[in-house]
Amino acid sequence: MGVTILQPYLFQEGKGGITAIEYLTKRLISMGAKQAGSFIVDCETIVSLSSSMPQPPSNKAVHILHNSEFPASTFSILDTGAKHIPLVADNLFDLLMIKIGNVYTQKKQPSIESKGPRFEYGDFLIKLGSVTMNGNFKGILIEFEYRPCIVFLNCWELMRELIQGFLGISISSTYPQFFQQQTLISGHQSLKQNDSFQAIDTINQYLEHFINYRKQTTSIGGSTQITGLPLRS
Amino acid sequence: MSGIPSTQDLLTQACNNKIIPNQEYLLQGSILDSASDHLFQRLKGLCDNVESGPQLFNDHELCLSLRAPNQAQPLMLRVRRSLEVDAPYQLRYIGQPEFGDRTRPTLVRSSIDVGCTATVIEFLTELGCKIDYEYFSKGYMFRKGRMKITMSKILKVGKGDEALSQSQLVELSVLAPTGQDAIGEEMKAFAEQLKPLVQLEKIDYKRLGSTLP
Amino acid sequence: MQREEKQWESTLEQILSRLNDLKLSIMSMITVLETQYETINWPTFLDNFALISSHLTGISKILNRRDVGGSCLLRNRTVLPLLLSQDRDDQLLQITEGRLPVFSHDIVPDYLRTKPDPTAETRMIAHEQKANSLNNDAAAKQVMQFNKVVAHVSDIISEQREKWESESSTRAGVQQTSSMTDTQALVAAVGIGKGLLKMTMPPMGGPGQVMLPPGGIRPSSMMSSVSPQGVGHLGKAPSSVKTNIKSANQIHPFQRN
Repeated sequence: MGVTILQPYLFQEGKGGITAIEYLTKRLISMGAKQAGSFIVDCETIVSLSSSMPQPPSNKAVHILHNSEFPASTFSILDTGAKHIPLVADNLFDLLMIKIGNVYTQKKQPSIESKGPRFEYGDFLIKLGSVTMNGNFKGILIEFEYRPCIVFLNCWELMRELIQGFLGISISSTYPQFFQQQTLISGHQSLKQNDSFQAIDTINQYLEHFINYRKQTTSIGGSTQITGLPLRS
Repeated sequence: MSGIPSTQDLLTQACNNKIIPNQEYLLQGSILDSASDHLFQRLKGLCDNVESGPQLFNDHELCLSLRAPNQAQPLMLRVRRSLEVDAPYQLRYIGQPEFGDRTRPTLVRSSIDVGCTATVIEFLTELGCKIDYEYFSKGYMFRKGRMKITMSKILKVGKGDEALSQSQLVELSVLAPTGQDAIGEEMKAFAEQLKPLVQLEKIDYKRLGSTLP
Repeated sequence: MQREEKQWESTLEQILSRLNDLKLSIMSMITVLETQYETINWPTFLDNFALISSHLTGISKILNRRDVGGSCLLRNRTVLPLLLSQDRDDQLLQITEGRLPVFSHDIVPDYLRTKPDPTAETRMIAHEQKANSLNNDAAAKQVMQFNKVVAHVSDIISEQREKWESESSTRAGVQQTSSMTDTQALVAAVGIGKGLLKMTMPPMGGPGQVMLPPGGIRPSSMMSSVSPQGVGHLGKAPSSVKTNIKSANQIHPFQRN
């Protein structure tokens, strides 16, 4: 496992998602990438309407995600409104979550997933994900992974180059916001870009985008998280 | 296009095929500290881990409960972490123990056991779980086939880790998928071999509950 | 006394019925032997012996029985021949089913066992001769020696007995290796937190402790750690779901540590 950057793909209105995926696939193969299976990242969210605890009632959301790249794990992120608490567990956690969910007064949000083909390109792994929410196409998320390295700072330039070359867009050399966060590791303040990259970091990026997709109830327009110019092809 | 089945499908499939070990068969007993060495030697002789030797453990166990407003029975969860080695935390759901009738050789309770990251305690408390109680459990773990045998000292947390009693808790358990009741007989036979040192029995939790102040 | 007599009678009756059983089984065996000797299934025929031997053990059990009172033991009874006669006795012939016509001195030693076994008799005679040939001094000496040996053996036995008894009593102490009350206490503690419930709050951040905010003081600690936006959000929380999701998302999840 290496460093992963998730990049939404902006394509022109009117062009269907399938056409875009076909276009990207063709482009990857012409670059010399080889298709290696497919992948899926899915996300379920349970929102508790009110907690039974004597705390000030607050709405908490539990996001449960799976990544086919880590088939034995279940990733859950508890969003208390104030902070995110990640939990990585064995995939039996799903069964346990059913029990917890029963206790909660809950409201389910539409499930959302990103799936598609997976390509190997030298040391890189590139995944073209079509995002669907309750079966409706929402957009395309491309996952770039540079496998030999686990610190973002050390491979950012390399990855930026690849993304620019592949998508034909220019990407600012400032780090994506996700990697500018401060993290707390065993009491030390640190920046995400210096930390060793973990599976949950990939999941957090997906979640961030999924939440954005959920917010946009309509249009297929791209996300504004990462600065990028539309491809002119 | 995608040949990968969704996690939901895999889970239902696993449930239907009864491959998820979600039943715990349990017998419990205790041994006085003075005789614990005797039991230790006997278990060492009877159990599988002859070459590696018995496994020492020193765990901190937290018991949490999640109360629903409309349900009388709270959901009980346990988090266990090792104080010795840097291992993943263990999160367990344990259902109400079924005492069953006399013919059933062991206590049976549903159980879901998952390894997880250390964030689990914060995750659960933020989710609304209350920490009911906690303790340290320090002792040895033995294996015999599918069976797990532990003998451990239960220590109170804080106050210089005061021991709870002059005895060690002895537990014989197997985690198995639903419907494998034959294991109960196997456990009963093993428990016989530990007599009269330890009386491993199925203990009625309901009776314990009634004596609670 | 009546009770004693009744017991005596019932014992005799038991012996009689047993004897009859024994007689019947022997008779049937003989009949089989005489009539079907060509077609006998030998393995099943051998079962007859087992049957007979079981009857015999039954009888010897009754004969050896020691009753609590000790008064009606068969072994304490003696049978005496009161009248011997050389004349033929028809009544005797009838009750013995034609086996015994005359009750004479000839047959008494065998039937009433007044005469010991011939081998035992010869040995007895040899011993008596030996005893008679000893003089008094030598006899006294031997008796003393014998007493000495017996006393010694009895010492050894009683010593061993004492040792065993003390050993078994200490073993009874060792057997106390587990205590039911301790089991109950431990299981209750681990299972439902009995005896542990009152000490749920570990000191924060102490050595070896999990870093977790104790549940009891959660509301205040939560308030202090949450930014003003967050508090405002929490205050608004009871409103509808939709607004809550929105407000949760307004706070960018990754901007705060």
